[in-house]
Amino acid sequence: MADDPLSTTFAALADPTRRALLARLAEGEATVGELAEPFAMTLQAISKHLKVLERAGLVVRGKDAQWRPCRLESAPLERASEWIEANRKIWNDRLDQLDRHLQQLQTTGRKRTAT
Amino acid sequence: MTNETATNPTDLGELTITRDYDAPREMVFRAMIEPEQLTHFWGPTGTHTPLESIVLEPWAGGRFETTIVPDGSPPDAGFTMKAVFVDVVEPERIVFREPELDMISSSTFTDLGDGRTRVVIHQTNVPPEYRTEEAQAGFKTSLDRFAAYLAAQGR
Repeated sequence: MADDPLSTTFAALADPTRRALLARLAEGEATVGELAEPFAMTLQAISKHLKVLERAGLVVRGKDAQWRPCRLESAPLERASEWIEANRKIWNDRLDQLDRHLQQLQTTGRKRTAT
Repeated sequence: MTNETATNPTDLGELTITRDYDAPREMVFRAMIEPEQLTHFWGPTGTHTPLESIVLEPWAGGRFETTIVPDGSPPDAGFTMKAVFVDVVEPERIVFREPELDMISSSTFTDLGDGRTRVVIHQTNVPPEYRTEEAQAGFKTSLDRFAAYLAAQGR
């Protein structure tokens, strides 16, 4: 696995449990216990997923030693969606230019056949 | 050209673009694997792709490398893509993988029967094992909520 930030973000988002955790945090801060409630999973399993999200910078844990509430950090998501947008533009441009290229190719082809 | 762009922004990391070209399939396919042709259209607007920067070995395991250079910049200011072909089936399909991004791009070419060709570009960096229907449904729901969240942040 490449260790650039974008790959880390995508890898963190690849798991359905982690996406569900992020969706819950989009509604507001929560403790690990609160996050674990709707899941048929141990606290340890949830903590493990949270660590992956923390490493990807998608979740920030509070300083409060006892509760350490989790909070969603949206910056990596924004970078991910910016990247997706840029990538989409490149392919759209490329395919537009391919169209022009093919038209040109066919025009010269026809000319050649005509002469 | 029928300009049909079907991109679903909720499929994070996934991209699907469909275009119909007024050209026969063989011609469209060849344009995508011949460096002399790629150099004319590969880079987006405002860039160029020097012919000498293109390495293209159109077979499974072959290299596919291009450097896209912003117009007016020296060649070393360009962006180099280093990919490897996973599958090349003339004139139907081209699949390549960019190991650095762990991203797979496939292009399929369909003969529409009237001299036109449909090209579908599909790109993903989500591993296939996560692309079950269930995972996708969950993904979409959570992303819709992200979108709402981001909107609420004033984006």
